[in-house]
Amino acid sequence: MKRFLTQYRALLWQALQVEWSNSERWMSPLLFSTTMILLFAFAFGKVDVAFLPQLYIAATYLTASFSLQIAFSRVLEPDTQDRVFDQLRTYPISPSAWFLSKYTIVILLGALILLPTLFLSNLFLNNEGPVSLLNSSVLIVAVLMLLSLGAIGVLLSTMMLRSNAKQILYPLLYFPLTVPVLLSAVESSRMILVDGKDLSYLMSSWLGLLVIFGIMYFTLCLLLFGELVKPE
Amino acid sequence: MLDIKLLSFRYQFKTILSQLSFRAVTGEILHITGPNGSGKTTLMSLLAGLRKEAGGTIEYRLPSGKAAEDRRTYVEYLPAEANALFGKMDAMSNLRFWRKLRNLEASDASIRAVLKKWDLDHPLVRQNFPVESFSTGMKRRLALARLELSETPCWLLDEPLYGLDTKGIETFQLMLDEHLKKGGITIIVSHDITPLERFPLRRLDLLQEARA
Repeated sequence: MKRFLTQYRALLWQALQVEWSNSERWMSPLLFSTTMILLFAFAFGKVDVAFLPQLYIAATYLTASFSLQIAFSRVLEPDTQDRVFDQLRTYPISPSAWFLSKYTIVILLGALILLPTLFLSNLFLNNEGPVSLLNSSVLIVAVLMLLSLGAIGVLLSTMMLRSNAKQILYPLLYFPLTVPVLLSAVESSRMILVDGKDLSYLMSSWLGLLVIFGIMYFTLCLLLFGELVKPE
Repeated sequence: MLDIKLLSFRYQFKTILSQLSFRAVTGEILHITGPNGSGKTTLMSLLAGLRKEAGGTIEYRLPSGKAAEDRRTYVEYLPAEANALFGKMDAMSNLRFWRKLRNLEASDASIRAVLKKWDLDHPLVRQNFPVESFSTGMKRRLALARLELSETPCWLLDEPLYGLDTKGIETFQLMLDEHLKKGGITIIVSHDITPLERFPLRRLDLLQEARA
């Protein structure tokens, strides 16, 4: 356990240092997200209050989905330089510690993009503030979505490193795998904002599905990651 | 001791290594030779655990004679065409990171002692100076410093002298000498054999082995 924690901490700290030294890697998805939200706000202009929650959900989740995809696809980029990834594979590293460190950094990076997206979307689309779009229930749904997408992000970026298909593989696999997560997040948010349902009610419907997919993806990705870093 | 028995490897439909058996013992250097494409680097990556053998076994035997559960704990690999360094991080952070992954104490003093040997201990070089700005020789010296700091008994070195100047080669010779005296194992692929001639060297020619 001590070895696991030491390795987890070392991998996470190194990833944080690399991200910090290269702010462009998280800044560009964030700028992309801000631009998209701004475009939506300009394109729709003044919107009927009744339609505002739907627009907010559509614009926010679409933007977040693309921005997160850009961020996640680059999460293992520093490891590809100078054959660092291969060197890591020659070290006696616990695959779980390795996966969890990458997963943590993906979640931090994702939160750095997702939370401002939610906030800016509310600010730009709902600039006259007739209804509150950003509440704690929607935040919880968005974070749950991030936790599911993060696991897929780590796995697919690692697969990209190990596959000859590289660039084409990521979008091909990312979209079908994320559809159930995005759908349940969108539906849960819609039921919160439009139908006024609470989280406990949603647990037996769309939110429950989101949680189940989150657990399933995390477990599967944790197990498959070990297979990906094994000798070819 | 590194014990290799009937090792085979195929890449797509081509057989690269076929039923290769040899042992690398403590206190000597095993020099892998052969023409380009004979499988020297493939053999090194198999020994390092990057590739999976099609047949045969690779075992690191502990002094008790028992095979190690995970040989990566005892083996450090230095690839030929790369140094496996994080370009955006400085020398100290790089070495600290790799040492921690081996669960070794990573104090500044222990790292600086090795950096000093490799002439990389200057305050403007060791910290707050990204490794990507290093010259080719400096990067190689840093990778060799990591090798020394790994404290592993078995070293797999693929063209370790690449980019090293005369002083760097001398430091490498001293490090190797110390490693062998401590009972270390070294497997080397190198086209420049002159700096290694002073060491107990055993040759393994992959072309001859393939014909045998």
